[in-house]
Amino acid sequence: MSRPVYVLGAGAHPWGKWPDKPQVQLAVEALGAALADAALGWPQVQGLVAASSRFEGGMGWGLHANEVAQAVAEQGMACVNVGGACAAGAIAVHTAHAMIASGQYDVVAAFGAERMPKGFIARPPGSSDDISDHDYLRWVAMGATNPAFWGIEAQRRIHDHGTSAQTLARAAVLMRRNAAGNANARYRKETTVEEVLASPIVSDPLHLLEICPVSDGAAAVILGTEAFARRAGNTPVRVAGCAIATGEFGDPARRIPTVSSSVRSGVSHTSEVVGAVRRAFDMAGVGPKDIDLLEMADNTAWHLLAWPELFGFCEAGASDWMLENGRFDIGGELSLNPSGGFLSFGEATTAQAVLQICEMTWQLRGQAEGHQVPDARVALSAVLGLGANGGSVILTR
Amino acid sequence: MTGIAASLDHGVPVADGLFEMTGGEPRLIGARCQSCKTVYFPHSAYCRNPECVAKQVERWLLPPRGNLYSFTIQRYRPPPLFRVDDWAPYVLGLVDLGEGLQVMAMLSGVAHDEIRIGMPLRLVIEPLYTDAERGPVVTYKFAPDHRS
Repeated sequence: MSRPVYVLGAGAHPWGKWPDKPQVQLAVEALGAALADAALGWPQVQGLVAASSRFEGGMGWGLHANEVAQAVAEQGMACVNVGGACAAGAIAVHTAHAMIASGQYDVVAAFGAERMPKGFIARPPGSSDDISDHDYLRWVAMGATNPAFWGIEAQRRIHDHGTSAQTLARAAVLMRRNAAGNANARYRKETTVEEVLASPIVSDPLHLLEICPVSDGAAAVILGTEAFARRAGNTPVRVAGCAIATGEFGDPARRIPTVSSSVRSGVSHTSEVVGAVRRAFDMAGVGPKDIDLLEMADNTAWHLLAWPELFGFCEAGASDWMLENGRFDIGGELSLNPSGGFLSFGEATTAQAVLQICEMTWQLRGQAEGHQVPDARVALSAVLGLGANGGSVILTR
Repeated sequence: MTGIAASLDHGVPVADGLFEMTGGEPRLIGARCQSCKTVYFPHSAYCRNPECVAKQVERWLLPPRGNLYSFTIQRYRPPPLFRVDDWAPYVLGLVDLGEGLQVMAMLSGVAHDEIRIGMPLRLVIEPLYTDAERGPVVTYKFAPDHRS
């Protein structure tokens, strides 16, 4: 059995630094906003799926859904906790979708809430200090930071496609311009190509303002059946495609934290994300030409150029022209991260992919105040997580 | 002290099982699948090819020469797990060793404005820092290969 699934409600806690708000409180506030949006209360929620954080909470076992249930709604509902690092939010939404599509549940909530630690993310306890741990090796043998991996990708793009420093900077400028009207974004001040290029270089060719920082934030969606969607009274937004994937053997991407790639011809770059996007396209019966807006993980300006090409929105190398000619602007051929993206939010890891679904829902309903894509009908998300996790969702109205 | 470490007369390797000296020349220690011949670095317990049934890999010394596929310059100091004396921004390269294998490494002996994608490189072992107890600690890097 498989039946249609709808977004009944979406809610988010604005992104920023919230040292005085416990993580559970961020989660409860985002879930409360999503429930209010769906015109539902906790008693109607039959399942709760958490994108589990590795930084705090969850009773040390990743039990973030149970923690929320015990805090605000002890009602015997099913609690599911999923891992997936920065893609955990997409896996949580995928799980909630499957629970409803299977016919077992009518209303399920999915959420991610995160307060990011300062500075570098420490290695988890119990990691082995030898060559079997790539994360150990990349630090001790060469000090390869995450931006170094992205810098190597961007440098190769410059070599292959002649991408200019100005074009990379313009991608960051576009994100800030989109975020200027988005109340949930953290960095809402518009910037310029000159300002981006004047910011310190972190890992050549990437400047500080071309790399996403980290933030605290929380997002939640309530998914449900068609009957509940009719009752909610909002513009019905349907989950037309919903897929997760992992990496393929021979992927040429510089995959953090590995220090080598065994490359095979014919395997897609960033295959975990491309695989998820392709599955979502197949499931929804749509292709790149049908998509009005894309919410994607822009860890850097390079991602904003590379990923639309990988998903088939344009030829390899053509994103530069698309960006320079306004095709990625809000209302352009493909509205690229109308929310302002990770560059304007800062990444709150597990919450990020749930926020993408919130943003897409608001866009399709015409509620994206200050950054609305005109007449948006079909929206696509794409996210990448540690462990070669990819996730993608397509929403339609 | 392992045999590998003892064979490197100018320092202790930053991690065991990464590289060795063979006939006076440094070599990276990888693994190769006995069935599909895929090469991995560092050593891998299994072959990751889903088509491979046996998953048997053997110790495999990688070619000591390759070409620069891409690079970046690490402009700020990495967190303390990375130790280096005389910190200064340095080049991180992605080196194509052939056989489908690309390996990341620090580059040595090349000015920042002289780095060229495609340039020939050779493996070298160089000191990173001196530890009070262990003495000089060395890592693998790639340097311009003027021979070719």
